[in-house]
Amino acid sequence: MSGIFIAFFSALAVVFAIMVITMRQPMRAALSLVAHMVCLAALYACLGAHVVAVFQVLIYVGAVMVFMVYTIMLLDDRDMSYQWVFSRLALPAVVVAGLVAAALWVLIGRLPVTAPAIATAAGDSFTFSSFSVAFMQHYWFHFELATVLLLIGIIAAWAAVKEGSNG
Amino acid sequence: MIQDLLVYVVFMGYAIGVMLGIATLFTWVERKQSAIMADRIGANRAYIRIPFTNIKLVWMGLFHGIADGAKMLLKENFTPKTYDRFCFNLAPWLAAVPVLVVFAVIPFGGTIVPGDLIPALHDFFGSRSYTMQVANLDAGILVIMAISGIGILGTMLAGWSSNNKFSLLGAARAASQMISYEVSMGLAIICLVVTYGTLDLNQMVQWQSGTLFGFLPAWGIIVQPLGFILFLTAAIAENKRVPFDLPECESELVAGYFTEYSAMKMGLFMLSEFIEIVVVSALLVTLFLGGYNLPYMNDTGFVFPGGSTLAMSHLAVVVTQVVTFLVKVVLVGCFQIQIRWSLPRFRYDQLMRFGWKFLLPFAAVNLVVTACVRWLTL
Repeated sequence: MSGIFIAFFSALAVVFAIMVITMRQPMRAALSLVAHMVCLAALYACLGAHVVAVFQVLIYVGAVMVFMVYTIMLLDDRDMSYQWVFSRLALPAVVVAGLVAAALWVLIGRLPVTAPAIATAAGDSFTFSSFSVAFMQHYWFHFELATVLLLIGIIAAWAAVKEGSNG
Repeated sequence: MIQDLLVYVVFMGYAIGVMLGIATLFTWVERKQSAIMADRIGANRAYIRIPFTNIKLVWMGLFHGIADGAKMLLKENFTPKTYDRFCFNLAPWLAAVPVLVVFAVIPFGGTIVPGDLIPALHDFFGSRSYTMQVANLDAGILVIMAISGIGILGTMLAGWSSNNKFSLLGAARAASQMISYEVSMGLAIICLVVTYGTLDLNQMVQWQSGTLFGFLPAWGIIVQPLGFILFLTAAIAENKRVPFDLPECESELVAGYFTEYSAMKMGLFMLSEFIEIVVVSALLVTLFLGGYNLPYMNDTGFVFPGGSTLAMSHLAVVVTQVVTFLVKVVLVGCFQIQIRWSLPRFRYDQLMRFGWKFLLPFAAVNLVVTACVRWLTL
């Protein structure tokens, strides 16, 4: 039963991911990204990781995408640059992307199969308390490191924008 | 398996019925209560005539909700010239659906054992027991925060795709207001999580069925009075109602982000606002007012402070819990409508200052104090 849901949401996630790239209008691309993230959350929920699913929606849809849509909302609607045709390199890009996907498919087929077996064994016992314990015991440092890196990224972006406005 | 499906279908039907029913009731309460407060007669025009007689049933204007619904369904569905019809049509759904989904994790009763409740069904159900809740998730309160955040997208999409400056201004106001007040709301909820030590709404209700100092019911409003006020304020701001109705303030922005909507699309925005009153009331009841239990009550009966107990049959407990929850939700909803007719609207800069410089520091201080108390008493 859950296999059907996983297949369904995986297919849907791929469709929306393609739409994020192919949609030319910024708002529609952003909405496709929202739909893609909701599909990912549904996938996590199907795999029994409700906590990850909740955080996927809470952080990515509820915070990140809301700000992105907010920005797109305030863009100048007379800017018609999104009506331009695709780049002439679109076709080679699609071919290369297909090759990368094929290479990944072949490589993953050759990997030893022990890794996914552990992931499925966890099953639905991944409750919020077990998540908290794992997070606080093993991953808190990585989390804090990521926040510092993000802060550095924000400062870098701000510096870059400031540089551009002066010049 | 089939029993589970049956029970959850009934729960879902009940949840949707409660939300839509009480939301319709609140549209009437909003009119009638404002009329009483302003010393007017209020809604009394819509009636149903009994066929072949001249008897008109007015029932204090209760039928205005039906008249409203019929009007909105039958009106012309006018679509303005917009650059994105798809987004224009999608927006009302994005605003309304998350509000409906949120109710799924709110428990509207204690544990129910259908086999004990109806003896005729004992063979069919056996001794299966269910918590009266559509989705029993261990991180229920986070699910509420996550899903209600999607509603902001609908508001912004509506304002943006309407191709109207007033709508766009309304959407910008709505989005910034909802984002700002969500922070305080989240902090108020974290205080509760620290106090109760759980994220599961059902366990929160069970925690509140105990007593404090032996005689006070351990309701959230008594343990976290500041948290209650913060949550109520932030929830009304999230719902964009007076005194926080800047996104749709008619003297400046016509009707804000849904100016261009007509017929049932506009009706969906209105309905989602009223359903959100129901959901916020249900949340307040669950988090702060003892949930579906009366004071000193638990799943087996009453345990009074003196030590005397009153055992109740399973049927009596279930009926009491369901009725208690509904009555509490309606009373808290009426209180929210009372606030709407009592306070004047903020100015926009006041709204932002209130959110960031008043509510947020208070929520942060509340969290620090709660954490310290919890640390010392553990």
